[in-house]
Amino acid sequence: MKVLIANRGEIAVRVIRACREMGLPSVAVYSDCDRASLHVRYADEAYPLGGNAPSESYLRIDALIEIARRSGADAVHPGYGFLAENEAFARACAAAGLVFVGPPAEAIERMGSKTSARQAAIEAGVPVVPGTTGPLPPNATEAEISSVAGQVGYPIFVKAVAGGGGKGMRLVAEPAELPSAVRAARSEARSSFGDPAIYIERQLQRPRHIEIQLLADASGTVVPFTERECSIQRRHQKVLEESPSVAVTPAKRRELADAAVAVARAVGYVNAGTIEFLLDEDGRFYFLEMNTRLQVEHPITELVSGVDLVRWQLRIARGERLDLSPGLTLSPRGHAVECRIYAEDPDNNFLPSAGLVLGRRVPGGPGIRRDDGGVTPGLEVPIYYDPLIAKLTAWGGSRDEAVERLGRALGEYEVRGIKTSIPFFRWLFQNDDFRAGRFDTTFLDRELAARNGVPFVTIAAGAEHIALLAAAIHAFERAAGNAGAAPRGRAASAWTLRARSDGLRNG
Amino acid sequence: MLFDIEIGERVHRVSVEREGARYRIVVDGRADVVDAARVDSATLSLIVVGERHESHEVALLERGEPGALEVHLRAGVVAARVRPAGSRRGGAQAPGGPGGPVKLTAPMPGKIVKVLVSPGDEVGPRQGLVVVEAMKMENELRAPRQGRVASVHVQEGALVEAGRLLLVIE
Repeated sequence: MKVLIANRGEIAVRVIRACREMGLPSVAVYSDCDRASLHVRYADEAYPLGGNAPSESYLRIDALIEIARRSGADAVHPGYGFLAENEAFARACAAAGLVFVGPPAEAIERMGSKTSARQAAIEAGVPVVPGTTGPLPPNATEAEISSVAGQVGYPIFVKAVAGGGGKGMRLVAEPAELPSAVRAARSEARSSFGDPAIYIERQLQRPRHIEIQLLADASGTVVPFTERECSIQRRHQKVLEESPSVAVTPAKRRELADAAVAVARAVGYVNAGTIEFLLDEDGRFYFLEMNTRLQVEHPITELVSGVDLVRWQLRIARGERLDLSPGLTLSPRGHAVECRIYAEDPDNNFLPSAGLVLGRRVPGGPGIRRDDGGVTPGLEVPIYYDPLIAKLTAWGGSRDEAVERLGRALGEYEVRGIKTSIPFFRWLFQNDDFRAGRFDTTFLDRELAARNGVPFVTIAAGAEHIALLAAAIHAFERAAGNAGAAPRGRAASAWTLRARSDGLRNG
Repeated sequence: MLFDIEIGERVHRVSVEREGARYRIVVDGRADVVDAARVDSATLSLIVVGERHESHEVALLERGEPGALEVHLRAGVVAARVRPAGSRRGGAQAPGGPGGPVKLTAPMPGKIVKVLVSPGDEVGPRQGLVVVEAMKMENELRAPRQGRVASVHVQEGALVEAGRLLLVIE
């Protein structure tokens, strides 16, 4: 089986690694600005898509199918994002005789609509967050919508039926805010997803976001894994995940797993997928949505289960049957935590920080795994795509050990030239409530608001003195004639590579 | 050798001498002996030789104008500016003194989606000025202080590099 990877960055590299281990030839695709990136260099073959913006590159279904045909690939792995949950792409692959490494198009379509996904969960006997069972009629009057909202019970979320990732979603605390929230959600849903349909869900008070990874094969075997705890979110976006959750007992895990398997079976699911739940303070859980693809945070499940999810995706795609025992996949070994390292500036309202990488120091040591798309000196982080540059994950025998290891590794990690979220994580890892596992989905936004703009990066006077000493040595060596060849700006250091280095011993 | 090194808001007079493999550095009258070893083209290992031998790893990057340095420490980045002692360059720009003009530059490369103000507009602190799209997200750049828009240097739809002048507030 020859596999085309219809993606970029760390996830493309991750899939190519699995292909390499299994002896499967890999085919990369790239946009203009990604020509020199790691997934291109690492694949067996690489073909240009042209363009930079996703719509001109990684979202071009026709171009991807054509490259698959030209390269002789017989399978397509979509990664996450881009076309991973696009049923038209899954159908186009099937029509071209290509194996789509993911679920059937029908399952993507069924779960892609939030309301039909809720319906599927209800049919499977799984509780859903209280709310409307279907979309609001497009011509519903304000009075009708207000009456529906009143029955659901405030506070409520108005959500896009086609939504995801916090887009097309509005929190409404009281009836007076409802009309404008409905208008805003409809308009955002139309512009983001091309579908203005919305529905209403009650906002649970301080829930945790808990999800169940599963694998399913074509013969109907569904294997659930230990839950992932994804409550550490900034504006409804996950920034850190861990497995298992401190809030889930083995008995609760079994209930969650059974519910997840029931939903997957109800839609004829095949390959890797994830069922997301909200867990309230009383231990009641509610189906939230299903992600019909591999997820960003899959490494933590791999670390506590010992199962390689990407290799299993490929094995299922080529028709193999699952031979994993649920006894094993639901008994976590140790604890794993993952940080999503973004190219964004925590001291400037987390604005994206694209640009040239000038240097880096990478963490290592016991229990540390880094999935990185190859953000190395001399390469640009482009402005066109998701700003995730790496995932830093730690495994430990206990939660404390995993957290201590990851905190230590964050201290080692530096990416120079661009701003990253590393300083934010260093702060989070000092937080007592985080360290104790006391949090819910509202925790991080509350803690960030309470900081009130205090900078994440603070330089103590002692550190400033060290910087002064380093600058002085640099100035001295420059003035002593050991200067010259430093290419300024690009990929370079002030610290020139000199032939002679009188004062400096080479380390 | 004598240098003036600007760090934070202060300029320090710094004297550097080499003694074998070590440097004797006097900053504002305080002397340190530093053992330096090069790790790679950007990185130095420093041991500050005192009662304790404190170990530090730093990376130095030249960015922007001549003499401008970024010193990367474990805690974060410190900007420094080095020049030969006494060579005070003409009117070191004091960016945005309380009443002076403030230049708004692009914090990242991206596309200008919207320019929300025109020359002559009065703006309040934190008022939105320009919307830049980068990495699929729209980001509103806000006024750092109250003032009047003196000039606008970009148009909607333009692609800009980081550091590009967008507008000036006076």
